[in-house]
Amino acid sequence: MRRLATPAALIVAALAYFVPQVAGGAPVAYAACTTIAILAVMSYGADLILSYLGEVSLGHTIFWAAGGYAASLLAVNAGWNGWATAGAAIAVSVVLAAILGLVTLRTREFVFSLVTYAAAVVAMEVAFNWPFLGGSDGIVGVPPLQLTLFGWGVSGSGNEDLWPIAWALLMLTLLFIQRFRHSRLGTSALMVQMNPDLAVALGVDGRTVRFLVFVASAPISALAGWLYAYQRAYVGPDMFESYFLVLMLTAIVIVGRRLLLGPLIGTALIIVQQTFFSIGGDGDKIVLGAVLAAILLLWPTGLIGLWNVLRAGTTRRA
Amino acid sequence: MNLAQQIINGLVLGSGYALIAIGWTVLLGAARLVNFAHGQLYMLAAFIAWAAMHKLGVGYFVAVPLAVLALGLIGVVLQAMMLRPVMQQNLTSLMIVTLGFGYVIQGGASRIFGGDPESFISPIQTASIRFGEIWFTWQDVLTLVGTLLLFGVLWLVLNRTRLGALVRSVAEDPKLAQLFGINAALVYIGVFVFECAAVALGAGLVAPRSPILTSMGFDEVILTFVVVVLGGIGSVGGSLLAGFGLGMFTALFGALVSPAYTTAAAFLLLLAVLVMRPRGLAAR
Repeated sequence: MRRLATPAALIVAALAYFVPQVAGGAPVAYAACTTIAILAVMSYGADLILSYLGEVSLGHTIFWAAGGYAASLLAVNAGWNGWATAGAAIAVSVVLAAILGLVTLRTREFVFSLVTYAAAVVAMEVAFNWPFLGGSDGIVGVPPLQLTLFGWGVSGSGNEDLWPIAWALLMLTLLFIQRFRHSRLGTSALMVQMNPDLAVALGVDGRTVRFLVFVASAPISALAGWLYAYQRAYVGPDMFESYFLVLMLTAIVIVGRRLLLGPLIGTALIIVQQTFFSIGGDGDKIVLGAVLAAILLLWPTGLIGLWNVLRAGTTRRA
Repeated sequence: MNLAQQIINGLVLGSGYALIAIGWTVLLGAARLVNFAHGQLYMLAAFIAWAAMHKLGVGYFVAVPLAVLALGLIGVVLQAMMLRPVMQQNLTSLMIVTLGFGYVIQGGASRIFGGDPESFISPIQTASIRFGEIWFTWQDVLTLVGTLLLFGVLWLVLNRTRLGALVRSVAEDPKLAQLFGINAALVYIGVFVFECAAVALGAGLVAPRSPILTSMGFDEVILTFVVVVLGGIGSVGGSLLAGFGLGMFTALFGALVSPAYTTAAAFLLLLAVLVMRPRGLAAR
């Protein structure tokens, strides 16, 4: 049963490709699904840090925005195609993550969180004031995404065109996370988090592991930002808003940490609420923040934990 | 540039930073809890004082104590909700929980008070004092004196009274403190209430400098984080020094280099310090 869980999860995620069509094929269905896929990928970047290192990174909006800015700048000013801008998004985010990773290498817990947050504030201030990055206006007029391989490919800017790409990006991310969980780095990260003494005894260098996981997580959020730039045809300093930060964290904890599909389901729940059951921008903020706080205070293990409690209750009674 | 004026500005800015930071410093030192709702609590206090002045018609000097009282009550409620993870010292969860609280407060405040900037004005903000080239307001004097008084009283309470000894013992080792019959939960609640009340006082004195917005939130107080870390986690005297140091730095950097990049410069300074001393300047 447990051995089949991962392939089953991947198959479920793969079948999600047909969700917009099944949901009637309306533009709003494509828009919602594309947004969910993009924001879920963004969350998986932060998930790597929260679930496997046990630290709270408040700086992943930097990588998210870096991906978006890299794509927009190069597509608008240099006319680069989708592959090239994606490569640039990865490169920029890796460089930024390496710098931030080195700076925060010796910080833990709240100092790590606060420093990553501070770095995000600095990055936003730079994006807001630097004319090269468009300043407060951002960069407008991002051309339609062009991704071609051996003559076959996609190009477009509508959500119906972008959905297959968003879905493919999501699947790639899931496969990467799945590989990571079973890799030496992934298991070392968990060991460093849960039993640092054992890690030291086995010759695992905690700092190297933390640094590598941090750097590996950045391109994931950056690629989400890359696609987001094409979806909106615009990037601006609003990519640093705390909305994305709170969304990432909520998406990760809502279902339960260290679950392959956790952040995806979490993001889907949040975006469905905000798209179809919205109670106004401020009301949605209250919902999102309250869900985040309530989950951690009432069922720290997420909805899965709640489910386990309920199931244990019924089996005991039976 | 008038150097004397910039030094005055630095002192005024610095006392504001120290005042807004002090609750956070004490909370971090005693409970190891980072309250990411700190900025939203600051915003809420400013709006409660503003609403008291404009809806209830009370004066500024009544409105600010009212806001301090209201935030103290909110502090009791918030800490009561967080008590279980606080007792377990589940710090990762707590950080995220306070982030959620902050988001709720921000959404709730914009629903109640609207999204427009409001002017929260102190009557002594317009009363200024001039010595030749140098210029400051009575509000600046009040902030500076209020900050020094609060720090003095706090230092005395923490170091010279039984109450202070309780807080310090819980900060040192909560389990051991409990073995000696100290109610750690009560101490945590007290410290959190102090944080909320202190940030409300800070908002009452500092927020009148500029229009207030429900979206100002964390970015408005993020600079005080520099004060908390540079001063040394939990160090009252260190916070005061770091506050004034940061005030001088921002005033001079803003005047000499560029006002737009002041926050960025302050953080680069902080990052540089953290690379060399990950636990802050005051850490031994």
